Amino acid sequence: MVYSRYLLKRLIYALMVLFIIITFNFIIFRLIPGDATKMIIDPKFTSEAKAELKREFGLHEPTHVQYIKYVGNMIKFDLGISFSTGRFVINELKERLPNTMVLFLTSFVLTVVIGISIGVYTASKQGTFSDGFVTGAGLFTYAVPAFWIQLLLLMLFGYYIPILPVHGTISAPQPYGLFLQILDRVHHLILPAGSNVIVGFGSWALYTRNTMLEALDQDYIVTAKAKGLKENIILRHHALRSVLPPIITLVFGALPGVVSGAVITETIFSWHGVGKYLTDAIMMQDYPAAQGAFYLIALAVVVCNFAADIIYGFVDPRIRIGEGGKE
Amino acid sequence: MNKYQLRVETGVMSFWKRYKGKPLGMIGLIIVIIYVFIAIFAPFLTPYSPKQILLADRIAAPLWFRYVIPKYNNAPQTVTIGFDSPLYEIKDMPVSHIIEYNYSAPKTFSLTFDCWVNAPFHSEAGFECLIKTPEGREYSLWGKSYSSDSDKQVVRIDSRDLGLKQRLGLTIFEDPASKIFSSRGDYSLIFRPNPGFGDTSTRLYISNVKLHIPGLVHGILGTDHMGSDLWTQLVYGTRISLVIGLSAAVISVAVGTAIGIICGYLGGVIDEFIMRAVDVFLAIPVLPILIILGAILGKSIWNIVILVSAFAWMNTARLVRSQTLSLRERIFIEAAKASGGSDIYIMSTHILPNVLPLVFASMVLLIPTAILTEASLSFLGFGDPRVATWGRMLHNARGFGAFTTLAWWWLVPPGLAITFLSLAFVFIGNTINEIFNPKYRERL
Repeated sequence: MVYSRYLLKRLIYALMVLFIIITFNFIIFRLIPGDATKMIIDPKFTSEAKAELKREFGLHEPTHVQYIKYVGNMIKFDLGISFSTGRFVINELKERLPNTMVLFLTSFVLTVVIGISIGVYTASKQGTFSDGFVTGAGLFTYAVPAFWIQLLLLMLFGYYIPILPVHGTISAPQPYGLFLQILDRVHHLILPAGSNVIVGFGSWALYTRNTMLEALDQDYIVTAKAKGLKENIILRHHALRSVLPPIITLVFGALPGVVSGAVITETIFSWHGVGKYLTDAIMMQDYPAAQGAFYLIALAVVVCNFAADIIYGFVDPRIRIGEGGKE
Repeated sequence: MNKYQLRVETGVMSFWKRYKGKPLGMIGLIIVIIYVFIAIFAPFLTPYSPKQILLADRIAAPLWFRYVIPKYNNAPQTVTIGFDSPLYEIKDMPVSHIIEYNYSAPKTFSLTFDCWVNAPFHSEAGFECLIKTPEGREYSLWGKSYSSDSDKQVVRIDSRDLGLKQRLGLTIFEDPASKIFSSRGDYSLIFRPNPGFGDTSTRLYISNVKLHIPGLVHGILGTDHMGSDLWTQLVYGTRISLVIGLSAAVISVAVGTAIGIICGYLGGVIDEFIMRAVDVFLAIPVLPILIILGAILGKSIWNIVILVSAFAWMNTARLVRSQTLSLRERIFIEAAKASGGSDIYIMSTHILPNVLPLVFASMVLLIPTAILTEASLSFLGFGDPRVATWGRMLHNARGFGAFTTLAWWWLVPPGLAITFLSLAFVFIGNTINEIFNPKYRERL
């Protein structure tokens, strides 16, 4: 009962965020210096031709009508036509989305799993080495520019020791046969995803280790030890259980940042994805394309945040059962 | 008043006393001081300006490679020679200038000069420009005949020109620079009138002679794709990074603190509304929105500062708000209210000083975030194109051939510069937290 009310509240909130982002999108692309139509309308056109084109793009109508239509279009995923290719933006995004998902999910899942595992492991094996390693890895993630490490890895494994492909998602021409094609994709994935993991796992390890150490200090752990439970069981069933909710919140809370990182990763490795589409579109002043890509990215973040709320409510018994929950 | 000041001073002193005892904090502080010195004294650390181009060949290696890497043992440094006299009048004798060249062959060279002819009686006369090698071989680079007066002509000879290759009898794949400057010793650059020149009263005038042989090694860090000095770019980049990092951190923390205090102290509808806005801001992917807004509003440094701050104030606001919530319940606030203090008075004199330690640390920790964000933007090509920043150096390195030439010395320094500066601020921020807010010690 309480859980469903909580979910409803979060859903309304997610929709509100989405609505704000659509509005924001509508406003900023009308802030472009000069007339937005300049991009598509040749100044040499006659005024009738200009008016005709404006009508075609719906720019002759008053702003509030444009706005209402715009919101409708966004909900229907009608993202307009790209200035530079003349194709529907949504079709171009559809082509790229799977690539982005593959890169994004592989790197994010690997980063989080490896980071948390190292955090849990080093929490159980306290000592100067594990302390130093985890602190160092955390600092590394926080202070070193990720794209720089990616550039260095690219130079090392793409040029000095050319064993990995330096750009793209697949080889051209593609190898024959499904198995080889999958292998080819994985081959292209190693560098972008691997570098993301190297750059990102440290902060997860550090955070997990610190929260674990705090949890291991609690009285109920002492009790568990006194009961003679095995170290391993205490670690997994008692300590990890209690630190999981904050970590899960953090995992999903990190998503906007990870999406930002994905834009850079895709650009560095010329990954045929949504992030690179966004930067390319802005470089070419292709505003419908940029708008569409940004909308998709923001939408993904909103959906992920909502998913986080669902899972968080499920993991944290205070919300699920409704005893002193904050909502 | 005096008593109050004394108390503040001892506060600062005791903070410093405790800070001094933290090695990491001191390391951070020293690094930051070094960076600040580099930023201030940039013009004294490098003889060039970051915009000066053609200082050496494109993507030249650092000068010290000569002593470390055998391949560069005798690599040429840039040689630029202008004639001592501004103007030469040539009647019948050639003019020549000795060029000392003691390196292995360069990849290119260029020669520029102005020339004009004064021929009172219409008579055929000409001259040529040639280079004589230490072995005595002569390469004629340029020549022209005149039958009347000519206007001043600017002659530009570039070793990559097809015309020059043809003139020297080379194929398009051969390289005049490596052919001509193949040995070491004294070369001479000669302007020689053709035989018969002296019989007439024709005069040839030459001025602004400049021979430029771009080096393959240069300076402390080599050059970029335009022959611009990388060390200079690195040094001047320090200024931009510090300015952007500090100002963005100060602005966003100031905004965050003000909003946090107002929300926490006033509560109610305002608090609810602003905290929901904070949630919305936190849900927006920062880099994409910065790229878009930057492209629309214009890529100036101050736009970047404002944009970075606009998406960095939220965490401070949350932190300050929660701190204010607990402060609000304290007795001394009650007392201030009871004695008739206005809200603004209480917020500024009672709450603000008490949240400052917390705010101070989070400001220092925001600096590296701002620096990294700016570097990412510049790296993607959305930074201010008019200034040399570390991100821009990396952008150029990626876009203009650092990979294919394996120029790691172009790629490594900017990243290291960012890393050390960020680390320094992290160390300082964590140390401040350790002293003021032990609760937040373990967090990064």
